[in-house]
Amino acid sequence: MLDFLQSLSDGILFGATYALIGIGFTLVFGVMHKLNLSYAAASVGGAYCGLLVLKLAAGAPALVVFFCAFLAGGVIGLFVYLACFHFIPISNPLAALMATVGMLLLIDEIIVHETDGMPLNYPALFDDVMLRFGEFTLRGDLLMVFAVSIVCMAGLLALLYRTRLGLATRAVSQQAVAAQLCGIRVARVNALTFIVTGLLGGIAGAMIGASVGTLSPLLTTPLTTKGLIVTVIGGLGSIPGAIIAGLLVGGFESVLQQFRGVTERDLYVMLLLFVFLVFRPGGLFAPRGGRD
Amino acid sequence: MDFYFGLAQIIGVHTLLGLSAYIVLLTGQVSLAQAGFFAVGAYVAGMLTVIAGWAILPALAVSSLFGAVVACAVGFPALRVKGLMLVIATLAFGEAVRLFFFNFDYQVAKGGVKLGPLGGEGFRQIRYFPEHGWTTMDVMLFIWTLVALAMGLLWWFDRSRYGAVLRAVGEDELAAQSVGINLTAVKVSAMTIGGAIAGLGGGIYAHYTTHIEHASFGILLATFALAYPILGGLGSVFGTVVAAIFVQGFLVEGLRFLGDWRNLLFGALIVLAMNVRPKGFLDAPTLLWIRRLFGGRRGAA
Amino acid sequence: MALLELNGVSRHFGGVRAVDSLDLSVQQGQIFGLIGPNGSGKSTTVNVITGLFPPTSGSIVFDGRDFGTLPTHLRLGRGVARTFQNIRLFGQLTVWQNLWVAQNSPADRARRGFLSRWLGGQGGVRDEIVQLLEFSGLARKADELAANLAFGEQRRLELARALATRPKLVLLDEPAAGMNSEEIGLLRDRILKIREQGVTVLLVEHVMELVMGVTDRIAVLNFGQKIAEGTPAEIQADAAVRKAYLGGEAA
Repeated sequence: MLDFLQSLSDGILFGATYALIGIGFTLVFGVMHKLNLSYAAASVGGAYCGLLVLKLAAGAPALVVFFCAFLAGGVIGLFVYLACFHFIPISNPLAALMATVGMLLLIDEIIVHETDGMPLNYPALFDDVMLRFGEFTLRGDLLMVFAVSIVCMAGLLALLYRTRLGLATRAVSQQAVAAQLCGIRVARVNALTFIVTGLLGGIAGAMIGASVGTLSPLLTTPLTTKGLIVTVIGGLGSIPGAIIAGLLVGGFESVLQQFRGVTERDLYVMLLLFVFLVFRPGGLFAPRGGRD
Repeated sequence: MDFYFGLAQIIGVHTLLGLSAYIVLLTGQVSLAQAGFFAVGAYVAGMLTVIAGWAILPALAVSSLFGAVVACAVGFPALRVKGLMLVIATLAFGEAVRLFFFNFDYQVAKGGVKLGPLGGEGFRQIRYFPEHGWTTMDVMLFIWTLVALAMGLLWWFDRSRYGAVLRAVGEDELAAQSVGINLTAVKVSAMTIGGAIAGLGGGIYAHYTTHIEHASFGILLATFALAYPILGGLGSVFGTVVAAIFVQGFLVEGLRFLGDWRNLLFGALIVLAMNVRPKGFLDAPTLLWIRRLFGGRRGAA
Repeated sequence: MALLELNGVSRHFGGVRAVDSLDLSVQQGQIFGLIGPNGSGKSTTVNVITGLFPPTSGSIVFDGRDFGTLPTHLRLGRGVARTFQNIRLFGQLTVWQNLWVAQNSPADRARRGFLSRWLGGQGGVRDEIVQLLEFSGLARKADELAANLAFGEQRRLELARALATRPKLVLLDEPAAGMNSEEIGLLRDRILKIREQGVTVLLVEHVMELVMGVTDRIAVLNFGQKIAEGTPAEIQADAAVRKAYLGGEAA
């Protein structure tokens, strides 16, 4: 029972990073009705860029690394938008999808090229802190990861619901044409969406690096799958859905890893997805179906 | 010369993989499950020749059948979800298949050696071709005969009403329904045919590499399957072949002299190609132009 | 004999009663007009008849049999074809292929085997398609991509595609939208010809010039309810109809 609770809580804390990745997928889908398959790779790429700080100034505090990852994520996000979406006509969704695959490969290869494919150590905060409640423990670094992720989500929600930019973004996501007629520059909103999701991705990548302790290019594929699964389970386009689904998937896989081992773990995560696809294809928070 | 024959083998198998995604894409469905069907075909064919001692052709026929059956079974529930949900559902299916083979052990002792799939270790010693004295050229010709058959089949579809119906469904499901087309039947049929072709390709792949493991059938392979028809254009089956030659022949082999930089260029070139030719190398106007170039005129003639 | 009968059909979207207990009876061989202001539920009626949305309540009887929850493609098999308000052709298919795709009727099935229907070449169906192309004035465009046709040609092709399914009833959803009066005259002739071939027509339209000139009987919708039904002359004289169209306190 204790094992169960322990792995569940560890998983839920780590799941906050899945939630961030899921939000990135879901936000781009909500605004542009497009899938950006390079997103998880871009997030890991942002986290790697954070490490560049350590090259310039060895021993820089972890927070500076995180912040640089955050900024780098935004820059990569804008780049992805320009390379894969801006110039490709809307009538060719397949081309944009394929371009993001190309981008996924490109980012992956840049990472492999620059690091020779070796995992790199990633700095963390509070990794020597351990809260104990009898046998039950909470790792300080995981708590930090969770807290940072929650702050980012709160920041995103504030941006979406408290600012004019957020209003414009929501308007475009509901009715792009009508929003355009109201004087909203859709291309700009799209670009900003990519920057914002990129920022989130950069921090998510950094948090994953911090909680695992290392970054490796091998992370991108499983992270892409997990992020997409979170997106579907949460309901495409739903931010609260992505948050809850992220925590759910994190907890679920951690518990199964405890009891069934690491090689079988992901198989059960896929099964969880199929259960949702069959019984609740709209996800936890399916957007309401409108007329026509 | 063997180098070129080997390259031709790779291109042939990848063409089959691309064709399996091509027919599904015609109906407007983006499926990342093709690598999964390919994996099923590879393991089934390998087990049949190695463990059961079958000949290659019946083994490939059964692997193709397995691919078709699995695709049909996936098709019914998966095609109820649309668009991006389908992308993700099929991606998850492909991953589930890969993870299944990651955990799949079935070994039989033969002549003192244990043969068969062994989880993460993979499935080694699928040596039908060398054991039966096939040269690289024999294998290459064998592969391309099958590729030509699959292409011929799809090319025939394209000239028939079935091909037009597939494309009609891909363009506008609502309008297609309104002229009496049963969407589920059409989509599942395309998925099944795609599964059969992928299963065939997987079966061949297992035999020319002689060693398969779960890691080869990941998302990367699934995206390659999609990349060929999208890069080549959905106007004609020949686009897929052109793209497979371009990717495997030019990008992978032709740029080898660039060393590490080749892989970097690879992703960048895909991004560039999609920006420059969003409808693929051979899009509809290009095909029409080619057809007119050769003086062909269909329909009224 | 009534070919199509709607008995108390309603379709609600949340709180909006797009169609509200509608009764209609379209006789075999009629050209029946369905008119009403924007948002009065005409298109929803078409969509409910073709099975795009299930009705919230009520029943639809076609050719003596209840449609129930029959999916769209099977309704077509019973003989209901349609065109769309905002033309929906298969743009990347040729004109010829657009018509070929539509040959799904039970009659086609009876005449030709499975393999010849799906995998046969274009030869076997040439005569019928050429006939349809001539009827629509598209004979010289057979090999054009549908997306490259002019607006008027696209409308004609869509009508031809509906006829290629050999329907008993064809639902025309605002076929005259965006047409000038000369084109409307040609459309009128074409609709009359369709009826001569024994096909019943349900014409949903805004353009009074067409509706009044061609229909045998008209029903008027407003806010999802039928407010009047009668011959074109009766409808033109109806006070409630005028009010609905011109606006007024009770509308």
